[in-house]
Amino acid sequence: MENTTVIETTELTKRYGNGVLAVDSVGMSVRRGEVYGFLGPNGAGKTTTLRMLVGLIRPTSGTATVAGHEPGDPAGLAKIGSLVEAPGFYPYLSGRENLKVVADYAGVSHKRVEEVLDIVELTSRAGRKFGTYSTGMKQRLGVAAALLKDPELLILDEPTSGLDPQGMAEMRKLIKDIGQGNRTVLLSSHLLTEVEQICDRVGVISGGKLVTQSTVQELLGEEGVLVKAEPADRAYELLAGMFGVSAVSRQDGSIRLKTDPAGSLEINSRLVAAGIGVSELRPFERSLEEVFFQLTGEKQGS
Amino acid sequence: MIASIKAEWRKNRFRPAFLVSAGLIAGIVVLFYSAEWYQATHPGGPRESISILTLFPDQLVNNVMGAGFPLGAAMALVLGALITGSEYSWGTLKTVFTQRPGRLATLTGRVVVFQVWMGIITLIIFAVGAAYSVVIASAQGHAISWPAAVDIAKGAGAMWLVLAVNGSLGMVLGVLFRQSAAALGVGLIYVTVLQIIVVRFITSFNGGTYKWITNWFDGQNATALLQTFTSPVFGPSPPPAIGAQQAVLVLVGYLAVFLIASAALLRQRDVT
Repeated sequence: MENTTVIETTELTKRYGNGVLAVDSVGMSVRRGEVYGFLGPNGAGKTTTLRMLVGLIRPTSGTATVAGHEPGDPAGLAKIGSLVEAPGFYPYLSGRENLKVVADYAGVSHKRVEEVLDIVELTSRAGRKFGTYSTGMKQRLGVAAALLKDPELLILDEPTSGLDPQGMAEMRKLIKDIGQGNRTVLLSSHLLTEVEQICDRVGVISGGKLVTQSTVQELLGEEGVLVKAEPADRAYELLAGMFGVSAVSRQDGSIRLKTDPAGSLEINSRLVAAGIGVSELRPFERSLEEVFFQLTGEKQGS
Repeated sequence: MIASIKAEWRKNRFRPAFLVSAGLIAGIVVLFYSAEWYQATHPGGPRESISILTLFPDQLVNNVMGAGFPLGAAMALVLGALITGSEYSWGTLKTVFTQRPGRLATLTGRVVVFQVWMGIITLIIFAVGAAYSVVIASAQGHAISWPAAVDIAKGAGAMWLVLAVNGSLGMVLGVLFRQSAAALGVGLIYVTVLQIIVVRFITSFNGGTYKWITNWFDGQNATALLQTFTSPVFGPSPPPAIGAQQAVLVLVGYLAVFLIASAALLRQRDVT
């Protein structure tokens, strides 16, 4: 994998005419060949950022380089395939005719239309009018249109939105497949499992600000050990003595240790030797959901 | 730009709105000729009698001009508003703008195809009028002779210009309002009501001192241009207040302003 940057933004900001600051000084970088998850709650500024990257809206300030060009530059657009928000097609045309229209705009051969229909498994229904398509078929056609140029950068905004569980699983598999090789995929989503399953790196946006950007592994942090023991206070004191206060935390009736799970046997021995009853002792890894809620200040289950 | 023209033609060649409009205008020409034929052959009704001579092929150009304004103009305005406004409501503008051509190249393709469609509608008006006039001449036992080719070309050009200007007004309103419904409403009110009221007010204001201003309204110029196509068989009519040459220049000016305004709005504004 080459380590060159395909998307680079600096202090990218969008303030709408009504004063709403939708995107605030975002500095993100997406590397060639990776699947980058752009994560954030609804209204966080994901779609506005993506719209700026494809040149649909102009930033109030800051800069962006996408596929080596300014956003909206025809030379750059030739290398980018995108599906921003709901797929937009002509309802009176068939799926195939819609793709031919897009292919004409993009200067792509109509032969490619059949190829992308095949990739998204829509060939058998390509003759039906777009207006009669289900949500899943519309999303597939949107992805097909994004693939027409065989782009080096694919920008997908919530591609599983509105799909049923089976459709979501199929779409995830499709994105994984098309993200293979040297193609870069920027995937916006508010679905954490989706991002965790598909992406190499993630950027988390909240309130218009990019709050973090790293690999999924870095974001989840080091592995640790979860302990449930009685009496809990004594267990906490003993473990804090063993590993230091900063490595020990209490959460939901359990104690979490930042340590290598390989030392679980010794931890158990020390607790038992001190007369502390151990009911649970296992390795744990933070879920992306936990990290996300911590970073964005959102409440779980809200 | 060629790519944009290809794409625009592909998506608009079978567009229901255009096909329905083409059929509608053909039906209206047939209805118009039928009504006039009946009136010409059944004199004595409440309406002024019509000379059958106006319905024969040699008067084709002069007779079909009645379809140009305000009916043809209103239809062109509707189509113009639809071709730009519906791109916003369908969300297709973002699909189009994220392909290879730039915004202005895309608009250029759209304008070219739209004006081709205005040409097609003009041809339909003339073709249906010609066919029906042949039917009437044959039924009435009148010899079939046609206007000079140059007169047909001038008439078709004038008709196309009127449709093009009003269609472009619809286009700019569609871009301005980012939807077709508001553009249709405002455009139709302007063409069929507002402009007429304003012209009447200006004409009557202060004893007609400012009547010259009305010579710069697009509707006045369209009407004047179409009225220049007449002949003695239509009976006496007052000379148009605006000469054909000025009318053409003013309408071309309006066409340019509407297209430039569309381009400026599309180029500058965010697509949200």
